[in-house]
Amino acid sequence: MSNQTEQRPAESGGGVAAPAKRANVVETLFRFQSFFGLVTVFLAAVIFSPRNDGQILFLTSDNLFNIVRAVSEIGIIAVGLTFVILIGGIDLSVGSVLGLAAVGSAVLMVEDGFGVWTTVALVLLAGIAFGLLQGTAVALLGVQAFIVTLAGLQIARGLARMWSGGETVQISYGDGPGQAPMLFSLLGERTFGGVVPIPALIFAVVAIVAILFLRGSAYSRHLYAIGGNEKAARLSGVPVNRVKIIAFGIAGFCAALAGIVHAGQLNAGSPNDGIAYELDGIAAVVVGGTSLAGGRGSVIGTIAGALLLGILNNILSLNSVNTDLQLLIKGLVIVAAAALQRLRPTS
Amino acid sequence: MRKTTKSLIAVTCATAAFAAAGCGTTSENTGQVQNQDPTKNCKGPNEKYTIGMSQANLAEPYRVRMDDDIRKAAEKVPQFDVQFSDAAKDNSKQISDVENFLTKQVDLMMISPNEAAPLTDVVKKAYNKGIPVVVLDRKVDGEAFTTYVGADNVQIGRQAGEYFKNALLPDGGKIVQIKGLSGSTPAAEREQGFKEGIQGSKIEIAATADGEWERSVGQQKMDALLKANPDIKAVYAQNDPMAEGAYLAAQAAGRNDLKFVGIDGLPIPSGGIKAVEDGRLQATNLYPTGGAEAVEAAKKLLIDCQPVPKTQTLETALVTKDNAAEVYARLNQG
Repeated sequence: MSNQTEQRPAESGGGVAAPAKRANVVETLFRFQSFFGLVTVFLAAVIFSPRNDGQILFLTSDNLFNIVRAVSEIGIIAVGLTFVILIGGIDLSVGSVLGLAAVGSAVLMVEDGFGVWTTVALVLLAGIAFGLLQGTAVALLGVQAFIVTLAGLQIARGLARMWSGGETVQISYGDGPGQAPMLFSLLGERTFGGVVPIPALIFAVVAIVAILFLRGSAYSRHLYAIGGNEKAARLSGVPVNRVKIIAFGIAGFCAALAGIVHAGQLNAGSPNDGIAYELDGIAAVVVGGTSLAGGRGSVIGTIAGALLLGILNNILSLNSVNTDLQLLIKGLVIVAAAALQRLRPTS
Repeated sequence: MRKTTKSLIAVTCATAAFAAAGCGTTSENTGQVQNQDPTKNCKGPNEKYTIGMSQANLAEPYRVRMDDDIRKAAEKVPQFDVQFSDAAKDNSKQISDVENFLTKQVDLMMISPNEAAPLTDVVKKAYNKGIPVVVLDRKVDGEAFTTYVGADNVQIGRQAGEYFKNALLPDGGKIVQIKGLSGSTPAAEREQGFKEGIQGSKIEIAATADGEWERSVGQQKMDALLKANPDIKAVYAQNDPMAEGAYLAAQAAGRNDLKFVGIDGLPIPSGGIKAVEDGRLQATNLYPTGGAEAVEAAKKLLIDCQPVPKTQTLETALVTKDNAAEVYARLNQG
């Protein structure tokens, strides 16, 4: 977002005053599409919320934090996906990597007796390595990201099944052998008066770090440049391969982090964790206004997109909307968001 | 840069708003199991009650039927309004589903958990809030629930084994077993029970394949099993869809002499009882959904203010051609 925001006015700065101004308004509307969408859905949720003795159930603190907790894993994944999608790539492996990381966290602590920090470090390193490998295949071998990460999806799932012996590895806490340190159980807990779920805090930190990282860094300029026009970027001296590989590494890191959070929240690592999460993540990115063609979008948009889908899930459930109809409505929202992007004026 | 700053401020404000909304109240901590009076929510027959039913998935016909059984039984209790959610085999989603029911302040919770360990904490949270919890089919860890309603998988496996020993293959012979998804508890328990059931007979399990509970996988695995074990006489499948798949594979291979036994006995047109009636399966073992019993427990707790037993093990029954039509009709009446 940051670079784009800075570049755009410069590009269109020389235009005739009046039309340019109107174009700016339209442009702003579209740029913050996901934010307006989020506000709209939030207000709709307040209006349509079931009430109890005049209390708006949607707005109860428990409920709002439940939403953020439920969104946190997909949100973290989606932040990582944003980097890959900004360069016009895709990462289909993130759901499986989440499963692998969840299984890994459980096995390392419960069966291998590692401490929390060693486990977290090892799992995150494995996630980064997995992403970097995929990125290398995309950048250096020139295989399409869709294919590489489709293979990655299978490989990570296979590794998760092998590592766990095909069974859910349960995490119980304590000091004895076969038990995980109490510290890890914090992930499933709530803090600040028992209200704020720790996964939501982790999501917030990831989001802020990603926003700051994308704000004006050279790496971020390179990301947008590659997504906009890879050839031109290469010709103007952007280290295209390196930027690409790092983007996949970031996606792998985020997926592994989400997997650690997942294992902590559920007190278990199951080889079937995270199936189809990549699709929810991509949905959040798309609803957040990032173009799958690359070059346009933002982490802030992705976060708004993830929250929007989370609120939508929540309010539909609170109103006991039939599950089949829920799927239909969510599908329509994704299509609408993508269609709005097509309408957005190109500069 | 300016706009970026603005949006950062916007996000910060939103976060602050969320945090502010959070102040003032505290949620239940998931700590110790509190001893509760299970009939605390009982307000007698003149009140309305909302019940939340969290289903693990609706991909299996067995679970669709469970929801239907609950719906049907609840229709006869005018005080009850049952709301359903579908976790689509996702533990995280099921936790959210339960939390949403808590937000809606349901009077009673029913849950058929996707997996025990991940769902235990949130079920405990509901229970500690004083909401009666009826657990169906699959269990949760510990004691933080009001009542468990389900059939015994070891027992149903044993029943299937005894049918092989006493009726199907009294002289013994080789059979194959098609298991459910490896790693799932019902698969292990149905195998253990079956082995107990055939003990002391001359029946030998020549091979076991993982059919993942699915018809198509059962068919695929049976193709290979038939090639490797041409001398088998019968197939024990841990559910009816896999038995039907195996039947199709045997038909394609021209093995009309083989006998098939499944488990579940769903009383629906595509279910095991009809397959027995039509002669594709020799027998199926009725694995009741417990839907009606769960509603009965809810009625006792909320309307009659009566306690219910902690565990209610459902009766299973063998369904053969002799009683298939009668069982089908009985399970679908009213």
